[in-house]
Amino acid sequence: MSEVILQVRDLSVRYGGVLALSSVSFDVADAQIVGLIGPNGAGKTTCIDALSGFTAPSARNPSFRYISFLGRSIDRLSPQSRVRLGFARTFQSLELFDDLTVRDNLRVAAATPTWISTLTDALWPKRKVDAAVEEVLELLGLDSFAEDRPEHLSNGQRHLVAVGRALVGRPKLLLLDEPAAGLNPSETVELSKLLRSLPDRGVSVLLVDHDMSLVLGVCDQVHVLDFGSIIASGTPEQIRSDPLVISAYLGHGSSGVDEPALGAGSES
Amino acid sequence: MIGEYSGFILAGLGGGAVVAALALGLVLTNRATGVINFAFGAMGMYVAFAYFQFRDNGDLILPLIFVPSRIHLLATPTLFTALLMAVLLSAVLGAATYWLVFRPLRRAPALASVVASLGLMLYLQEVVRLNFPTGSAATVVRMGVLPEQPVRFLGTAVTANRLLLVVFVVLATVALTALFRYTKFGLQTRAAAGSQKGAMLVGISPDRIGLINSMIATVIAGIAVILIEPISGLDPITTSLLVLPALAAALLGGLSSFTIATCAGLGIGMLQSLILGYTVRPSTSWIPDWVPRTGLQQAVPVILVLIALVWRGDALPDRAYLVDKRLPSSPTPRHVTLWTILLVGATSVALLGFDAAHRQALIVTMVSALLALSIVVITGYVGQISLAQLAFAGVAGFTVINVANDGLPFPVAALVATLVATVVGVVVALPAARVRGMSLAIATLAMAVALEQLVLSSKGFSGGVAGRSAPRPVLFGVDFGISARGADNFRPIFGFLVLGVLTVSCLMVANLRRNRTGLRWLAVRSNERAAAAAGINVGRSKIGAFAVSSCIAGLAGVLLAYSTSTLSTNSFMVIGALVALALTYLGGIASIGGALIAGLLAQAGLFTLLANGGTDGKAGTYVFAISGLGLIAMAIFAPDGITGAVRQGAQHLQKSLKMGGQPPQQTALAGAGAGSGPGAGAGPAEGKPDHE
Repeated sequence: MSEVILQVRDLSVRYGGVLALSSVSFDVADAQIVGLIGPNGAGKTTCIDALSGFTAPSARNPSFRYISFLGRSIDRLSPQSRVRLGFARTFQSLELFDDLTVRDNLRVAAATPTWISTLTDALWPKRKVDAAVEEVLELLGLDSFAEDRPEHLSNGQRHLVAVGRALVGRPKLLLLDEPAAGLNPSETVELSKLLRSLPDRGVSVLLVDHDMSLVLGVCDQVHVLDFGSIIASGTPEQIRSDPLVISAYLGHGSSGVDEPALGAGSES
Repeated sequence: MIGEYSGFILAGLGGGAVVAALALGLVLTNRATGVINFAFGAMGMYVAFAYFQFRDNGDLILPLIFVPSRIHLLATPTLFTALLMAVLLSAVLGAATYWLVFRPLRRAPALASVVASLGLMLYLQEVVRLNFPTGSAATVVRMGVLPEQPVRFLGTAVTANRLLLVVFVVLATVALTALFRYTKFGLQTRAAAGSQKGAMLVGISPDRIGLINSMIATVIAGIAVILIEPISGLDPITTSLLVLPALAAALLGGLSSFTIATCAGLGIGMLQSLILGYTVRPSTSWIPDWVPRTGLQQAVPVILVLIALVWRGDALPDRAYLVDKRLPSSPTPRHVTLWTILLVGATSVALLGFDAAHRQALIVTMVSALLALSIVVITGYVGQISLAQLAFAGVAGFTVINVANDGLPFPVAALVATLVATVVGVVVALPAARVRGMSLAIATLAMAVALEQLVLSSKGFSGGVAGRSAPRPVLFGVDFGISARGADNFRPIFGFLVLGVLTVSCLMVANLRRNRTGLRWLAVRSNERAAAAAGINVGRSKIGAFAVSSCIAGLAGVLLAYSTSTLSTNSFMVIGALVALALTYLGGIASIGGALIAGLLAQAGLFTLLANGGTDGKAGTYVFAISGLGLIAMAIFAPDGITGAVRQGAQHLQKSLKMGGQPPQQTALAGAGAGSGPGAGAGPAEGKPDHE
């Protein structure tokens, strides 16, 4: 078993009277792809927002470590500090910078500014090419669109830009929020190929999606969320046959026979 | 003792009531249309001017320029006909502003509606100044509506009109609350505010809702300003700026509660009156001389605004806040060296060749362009609407005069002053970084008023009304001073100093825009959540941008101080800050070229000088009114400003020249992209079929 890089313990988020996430615990190991699935409203995006620092957990015991990353507690860190530690994320709605070219979308995420960088940028700007940016552009096949603005790209390309922007800071762990939303099947296949290549590059992945075929197809370990709690955990094979999962996705009384979503994963 | 205070407090009821009435209108329009109308005070102000004119001689004066605006309606107007006219006029004004200005901007970014409402405010102020007899030449006898005899109230004497004003406001509040709570119309307004699309789906017209609410709000504002006239007077600018305390009250009510807004408005008025009454007593000698006595009272709503805003503020917008709204586009500066050579060359020739009047206009243009550049940085690049830039310039201007008169040599004094402006800018940014959009515009406007009232009006700092003069700037024995005798005045060498500062500033801003700092700024402007997820410290980026932009504004202030014989507080009044933002938006708020055009358009700049030459001085008269109208039009139709329009025109021309049978490249690429897989080119998606 390789080293655990993300450890989540007893994480809860409350919006007003609604408990959106209830005592969720799981681990992500180095070079692992972990999936988090669940039907709409299960708390997936809440979980991502809490992990990446955009939503505050409701329970706050100062001595307890809710989220540990690379061996240290990140509970009190701002979103940008978590990113700089190597914990990057994407958004379901992509949220690309529409005013910037594809290359600049990546450049802006590539380097950490120092307190003096505004001054050096104004007086003595560096003109060298950023190797990390060019590498990611090439990896994702975006080099020929580097000078285009995101609005001129196809939906699939825009998804790649979002992934590229998260990758360019060389994260240890990449949190993907529904990366396949709005992609057509062939684009989804390409995306899963890309995801499977990431562990070899030293990037672990936490993949959140409701597309069972994608998640079960690429993940080493899968956790199923429903009503804010993890109802099942295991390998894709175990999840595929878990009766609780089937009922959460299809409602009670259904047999697991006639649902394409669960079966499709094995094809890709 | 107690009686004395209660006298002050009750005297403030009148002012408080008008603040409350405006706050009610702001809450009403915000609930109905989601817009905060900075021009609301100005609308009430115009209605009041029209009312008193009509009451006096039966003339109705319309808010129009270039066409005959005076209509003689009645020979003998009565109180009733005049009030009826005022109600109708306000309703029409409310409807017109909604339909022509705010309805087209419903889905526009906050900047567009701020700019449009500033445009409306400028226009109304100017139109009143141009069309109505004002000032000492006023021939209109303003007949008050309410009885003014004193009555006893709670053991203290207070004039009846103050109490009646309060009654009017309280009745309006009760009526509005009941209207929203118990009628179908109120329910529909609340539904439309919640979701315009949803409201349309169930057959509610958001336009009708917006129109009616805007009419009601304007009637309340108009009547309140008419009723307050005998107490606080009527002035195009000060009455328009009543919108600021009203905003404070409305914000305290969360922009949604009529009752809290009214109570807060009355409270602000009474508190202001109490402070004013207390500070002017001879016995309050503990207040140091440098504190302007009237400034303290103006500062109260400002502090309330800031507390309300910062208290409600959030570090990052939540999911629900995100809306896909286009901001003015900010192209990467290109051909910087070429432009620099061309513009510096042309300006140098002009400085040497122009006569004194044109040299003066050129210097004004360059200083104004520098101020506009600071607005480009903070508002154009980072998307933070700052109305405090001119106040930063004022701080630097008076600082340089003070430290230079204390014996600091010219360049050191200038640097110290610029640094002071930068520090003030950062201090303003600290709370401002917690709010965004419309709230930030209000917060910085509040800061600008606070700086104007408390710092720039302070006798010890700025010399009060008389102003102060800077010594001549001398560097290495060379005199850079602007003034000389006769035709040599506005010496070219000072022009070259300004040109140098402007050029270096523009080049540095171009560098910032092309490098990581500028990319971070644009990322923050585009999407704060995504910026944080890209590892950008949003708050620090904003504060850095405030530092850069207030530094540039400070430079402009220093040059302004050296370019006028006497610098007075009048150069830095809040209205000037609004004009500066307006002109920068007109020029193109997100590009350096836009700042330069804004400089050309500035009052007493080259454009007005040239236009005056062609129109016998008439252009100067209309410049504010026209820029107000232009601003509204630009906000609605051309958010990229003049430079954007020119750029689009050039691209269009290029395209049509290239159209020699070959299809335009841009559309071909977009067309291919839309249908294909993740990458139509190289990479993991190579060779994918176009369709599933």
